[in-house]
Formats: sequence, structure tokens, C-alpha cells
Amino acid sequence: MADERSGFDAVVEGPKPSYQGELSPVQVQSPGEVHESVEALRDLFGEAVLRHDVVANGQHIVFVPPERNLEILTWLRDDPEQQYDLLRDVTAVDYGGGQPLQVVYQLFSFFHKNALCVKCELPLDDLEIESVVSLWKAANWLEREVYDLFGITFKNHPDLRRILMPPDYAEGHPLRKDFPLRGRFSRAEQTRRALSQDLDHYYFDAEIERGGEPQELPPVAKTGEEAPE
Amino acid sequence: MGLNDKAPPQIVGASPGLLGEGTPAFFTSKLDFLVNWARRNSLWPNPLGTACCGIEMMAAFASDYDLARFGMERMSFSPRQADVLVCAGRVTYKFAPVLRRIWDQMTQPKWCISMGACASTGGVFDVYSMVQGIDTIIPVDVYIPGCPPRPEALIYALMMVQEKIKQESLDQHAILRAEDPAAVAKPRADEEEIGDLSGPFGNSTEQNRVSGLERTDVISRPGDRLP
Repeated sequence: MADERSGFDAVVEGPKPSYQGELSPVQVQSPGEVHESVEALRDLFGEAVLRHDVVANGQHIVFVPPERNLEILTWLRDDPEQQYDLLRDVTAVDYGGGQPLQVVYQLFSFFHKNALCVKCELPLDDLEIESVVSLWKAANWLEREVYDLFGITFKNHPDLRRILMPPDYAEGHPLRKDFPLRGRFSRAEQTRRALSQDLDHYYFDAEIERGGEPQELPPVAKTGEEAPE
Repeated sequence: MGLNDKAPPQIVGASPGLLGEGTPAFFTSKLDFLVNWARRNSLWPNPLGTACCGIEMMAAFASDYDLARFGMERMSFSPRQADVLVCAGRVTYKFAPVLRRIWDQMTQPKWCISMGACASTGGVFDVYSMVQGIDTIIPVDVYIPGCPPRPEALIYALMMVQEKIKQESLDQHAILRAEDPAAVAKPRADEEEIGDLSGPFGNSTEQNRVSGLERTDVISRPGDRLP
């Protein structure tokens, strides 16, 4: 077979460039569909609704400007017609090629049984967005994960530090497209850094000292002695 | 009835001997043999299941395969009482210091089994976060190939450890069991050896097999390198 490809062909051909198109490579299906919340957003915020996509199985994506994310998400949560009380996920996408990073909020309304995906596009030279922990407590660790893996800073986050990578990780943010697959340091340097980590940073004492010195029992009061008052 | 019906062994007076009348009542052996026999038949494994290999390890310890036949009925979840460390599954760089500390906490004599492709070489996880073989961190006695290996393979590896123990001698103890306090929490393999592990696709710092660091016009952001 002439057109049969082996795994080594990709190695010989070398790496391929990332997607270079204008828009993010989302296949928009049935663009005529309407979503009540998006229509309400259009009525109230007007220009703030930058784009509305409907993708696989009728998932509605609405793009809003990143500087207005807190205002719009607060309205989506508190308006009685919307009531998006569940934040399913906060994540981010990097499509590479210098395109802006997208912060993704997956919302769901228990009351109206409605789902909505809100996206904010952040240019690579200004990766800052307002935190939504004040709206949904669930955003706390999710935003930490996005910060850890994409380097997006969430303003007014109560505790913004790395959550998955080691706290002293110095190679950058691994889920970005410009991050080398094997990291920026050599294997030897990575191993050396890993072993010089201070475990007390992210493990409880009880977890580390499981095999530690045997504990001394508390002194037993002798019988007949009067207890101190 | 039962065992108690047997006549108690004659201790006072004429000894019947170990093998019958007229045979000696003692036998000679080497101390090495006795010590190694005791050690290899009471290996207490410290199960360190971090991934799917851990499932196969649990199967090996369960009744179908029954590792208790080999004197391993007690899983030692504390490294202080463990004899053999079974590292089953992939190890991340974040977990590497924990693995090293567990190994340092185990008392001599101790052995280590690297179970599966990921623990032995990094396996398919040739990425920024994964240790490329735990032998860069701790010394390994037996490697098991497979993804994951079957329980029979783990049993075979434990029997290989037993064979290894058989050949140890007490006068080699100072050499075999020497521990360097300065080596604690340091990479076990030297820099060149660890660097070779990222082959055959070249140096990790210069190549990106996913999107290609050199060929795309990604924006260089020196701020990514946190201090």
C-alpha cells in the first residue's frame, strides 16, 4: 500500500505548524438556532455579545469581552429569568499560532434546565481577567488550575497559586501551545529540581511522617495522686 | 484424636535422632543459608500502586494468585516494616521526592521492583511531568516489562528477588547494603545517564513534537520563566 503511513513518517516530516486561521477552529452548526439567555444578553448588553456559536448537539457558546466578564456573569447568575446557579467548569483553550487564549465558563441552571457556555478571549500580551470566585465558590480551584497550566492571572482571586505543578515549578505553563512537550529543562535538571523540592510545601505533616519515629505515649497519671485543680 | 495424640518427642535419655534411631540429633548448616532462607520467605512488600499496574498488583495479592504462598501475606503499608518496594505505575516529578523518601525510610535489607513500562522507563509518558524510569531516583533490583504486566509476571519478579537473596552472603553485607547519607534525596543516576533517557527523538529542550517550537511563529514570552 503506497498511502500507508507509519509512525515514523511524522518524525521524518517534522513538527507541523499550529492552526493559523482567523477564527478559532470550531465547527459552527445550525447558526440559526436561538438561545433565550443569549437573546436576553443581546437586549440588555448589546455590543457585549461579540459572537454566538452553536456547536455539537446544540451547545450554545457566547463570546463576551473579558473586561465585562464579572458584570455579565453576575447578571446571568442573579437574574430570575436566567438563574445560572451552577458553575460546571472553568477552563481555557490555546489554539496556538499567536491566537488569543479563551477562558471558558460552563454554566448550568438547575431551575430552568438550561446550559450556556461563556467564553472570553484574552490577547497573549494581556492575560488578566476578573475572578468569579465571588459568584461561585467552585471557581476557586478551577481558576487556580487555569492559572497553573495557562498562566492566566485572575484578579481578586483569594489564593492564586499553582495547584497541579510543584509550587517552585520554573518552566512555565505546560498547556500552552508554545510549551515544549518535554519541558524547557533537561531531564537531569528536572530530576534534580524534583528531588530538591520541599515536601512540607504541599503535604501535611501526618502524610509525610507516616513511617516516622514512633510517638511517645502521653504520661499516665499515677493512681492515688490528686488531680490538679 | 488429632495432633495431640502423638507421643511427645523424647528429650531426656537416649535421643532417637532426627532421622530415626542412631542418627545425629543435630544438623549443620551455613548461617548464610539460614539468614537468606528466613529473609526470602518473609518478604513484606510495600505496595506503591500509582496507576493501572496497581490493579494487577492487587490481583496478584488476592486469592486467585495468592502471594501468601511466598511468605508475603502481610502488605506493609508502612515503609519502616517493608522489605521490598513494589513501584507499580507511573511516577511524576512531583511525586519523585515522596518516592525517594519512602525508599530512604525503609530499613536494610531492602529490595525494589519496578513494575511496568512506566515505572521502568517512563513508557508512553515522554512528557514534561513524568520521571523517565524510577532508577534515576532509587536503585531497582528487578524490572518487569508490560503495560501492565500480568500477575504471573509480578510473581516471577518476586521469585527473582528471592533468587537474588539466595546469593547474598553476610560478609558482603557491608558492600551490598552500604548507604551513603550524602546520597539521600539526590538523583541516583548521573546527569549524562539521565540525559540519554530522552532519546531517540533528541533533546527535550530543543524539540517539540506537537506543534514545533522553531517552526511556528509563537510569541516568545520570557515572562513564562518564573524565578
